Amino acid sequence: MSEIATESPPTAPESPPSPVRRRGPMWWVRGALWLALLVLLLVLPLYLEAQWLRAGQYMMVGAVGAIGLTLLTGQAGQLSLAHAFFLLAGGTSYTVLSGSTEGGTLVGFGLDPLLSLVGAVVITALLGLAFAPVAGRLRGIYLGVASLALVFLGLYFGQAAETLTGGTSTGRSPTPFSLFGFEFSNEGDLEILNVPFRQAERLWYLFLALTAIAFLLARGAVRSRVGRSWRAVRDNEPAAAVMGVSVPRAKAGAFAVSSAYAGLAGVMTVLWFDILKPDESEFGTYGINVSIAFLAMVIIGGLGSVPGALVGALVVNGLPQVLALYSTDLGWFTGTGEGTFTPVLISSFVYGAAIILVVLFEPGGLAAIGRRIAGRLSFTQRGKE
Amino acid sequence: MLTVRNLQVRYGRSVAALHGIDLDVPDDGVLAVLGSNGAGKSTLLRTISGTLRMHRGTVVGGEIHYGDRRIDKLDPASIVGLGIVGVPEGRQIFARMTVDENLRAGAMGARSAQRRAAARERVHELFPVLAERARQRAGLLSGGEQQMLAIGRALMSGPRLLLLDEPSLGLAPKVVARIGEIIREIHAQGTAVVLVEQNAVMALQVADHAVVLEVGTVALSGSAAGLSESEEVQRLYLGGHAESDAAAQEEAAAARTQRAGRRGLSRWAG
Repeated sequence: MSEIATESPPTAPESPPSPVRRRGPMWWVRGALWLALLVLLLVLPLYLEAQWLRAGQYMMVGAVGAIGLTLLTGQAGQLSLAHAFFLLAGGTSYTVLSGSTEGGTLVGFGLDPLLSLVGAVVITALLGLAFAPVAGRLRGIYLGVASLALVFLGLYFGQAAETLTGGTSTGRSPTPFSLFGFEFSNEGDLEILNVPFRQAERLWYLFLALTAIAFLLARGAVRSRVGRSWRAVRDNEPAAAVMGVSVPRAKAGAFAVSSAYAGLAGVMTVLWFDILKPDESEFGTYGINVSIAFLAMVIIGGLGSVPGALVGALVVNGLPQVLALYSTDLGWFTGTGEGTFTPVLISSFVYGAAIILVVLFEPGGLAAIGRRIAGRLSFTQRGKE
Repeated sequence: MLTVRNLQVRYGRSVAALHGIDLDVPDDGVLAVLGSNGAGKSTLLRTISGTLRMHRGTVVGGEIHYGDRRIDKLDPASIVGLGIVGVPEGRQIFARMTVDENLRAGAMGARSAQRRAAARERVHELFPVLAERARQRAGLLSGGEQQMLAIGRALMSGPRLLLLDEPSLGLAPKVVARIGEIIREIHAQGTAVVLVEQNAVMALQVADHAVVLEVGTVALSGSAAGLSESEEVQRLYLGGHAESDAAAQEEAAAARTQRAGRRGLSRWAG
């Protein structure tokens, strides 16, 4: 700086480091790891029992929802507690679109399940877009509280619109998902390598495919111009505006995309439970605690990190499932009644503690820890060269 | 290129920031806008860039034309699309993004990858330090470097008119001189500049034309050279005295008596 403050114009540096995104020195290691993970996930149904597969599917449901929330909260900087509402909206949309009209008590359109799934995602995206005017005006905790109102709206809607949701007492069973005539249910006999492929195995592949698509789309968005405009709005709205980013549009887009992800997670939830049952109280499948659980996944994984959201979902949605399975095997936490430790209660403690630890010691979450490890590895690698 | 006619701007219901401003930015010229705090300099730039509403201001009257297009009703994104790009006051960079990402964010308006690459090359030529630090977080740059990044980011979309809001704010004199040089270079490469400054010395050296704002009106306007000769500008902004030392001392004495007459905050009496 000091020597170029004179009259002479600055000379261009001989070779400025190329700012173009290069493949990291470890790119092939990363690729191999991703491939190994994919292969592992693909062969798991051949070895695991159905209950373990169901636990895994529940983690994938969480992962899809958490990816949506990390885009909204981490990338675009908008706090939302409405995720559970969009989950309910997505699940209801799928059930209604694919369901049949039964004796005038239920409304159904009898559409193809794939079409219904896409329709449910579109409907929730539109609902998210409808909330955008509110989201554009509020920020931070105020937006969080305003979005929380939607959860109560969902609770009321679930109870009131019995012709759509089936009501809180009986619920409504969704049409099983099917693709070109192949049903993801216990229908028909299918054996691969002497392993019977029933609902659990079939849904595993469906969920795996949906999660993979959700993951890749989100990563693409984060790396592209869309993600950049979200981060620009998050960091500094006026500066983003003078850069040519339409701030209201970026915010509304983030909300719509996030809602669409939640809607997909809602469809997966309904398929996983095999029933759509709106909550009786605000602490149910589509209640406040679910919204907060998604927030927990996103914070533990690292705000804004898409792989982080996956790991966060693994912790938050996986732990109660895995604990429940282990506890029946080992006879832990089997007591009943008040004051006993259920797997759900214990995992709430664990992820509560995880949030506190993350906020205190690594605000970047697991993603930041991962980046640090990767950085250190590539450093040693570079040292060897 | 840019003409502002009888522009009136208010914040909220009552605070009038601009009362009828007229000015012209000539094709590929540098216009300096001088004035003290609260004169309406930043408001003027906000109005041109369309971000006034984000600061809860409204245009009450008047028009802004860019070429033959009226732009005072457009949203910020379309104004950027026309080639008018601002560098907001206080180097509002995206602190959590890397330097390179900041530059990419600036190129969001440019469609073709080729033009983006050319713009990046130009920015890196102007600011070699940004190439060296491409991968660092922008928040870790020094103040001067952050200002360079803010200017570089604005240049990424290949603007035809650059709006600079106090680029010298809080920078060391040497860095200020460097920023002045850069503005001249940008101008030489064919971009018109509106430069809002409190640092009148630098601004008048760089600019062709200048206006002086005083509480929301244009008090003086003319060529930069002419204004720097003018007594009033010298007295108010350049720190020199036009007439003589005697006059200066007289004035200082007048100021002292005036100050003595005013109630101060010297002591807490109660």
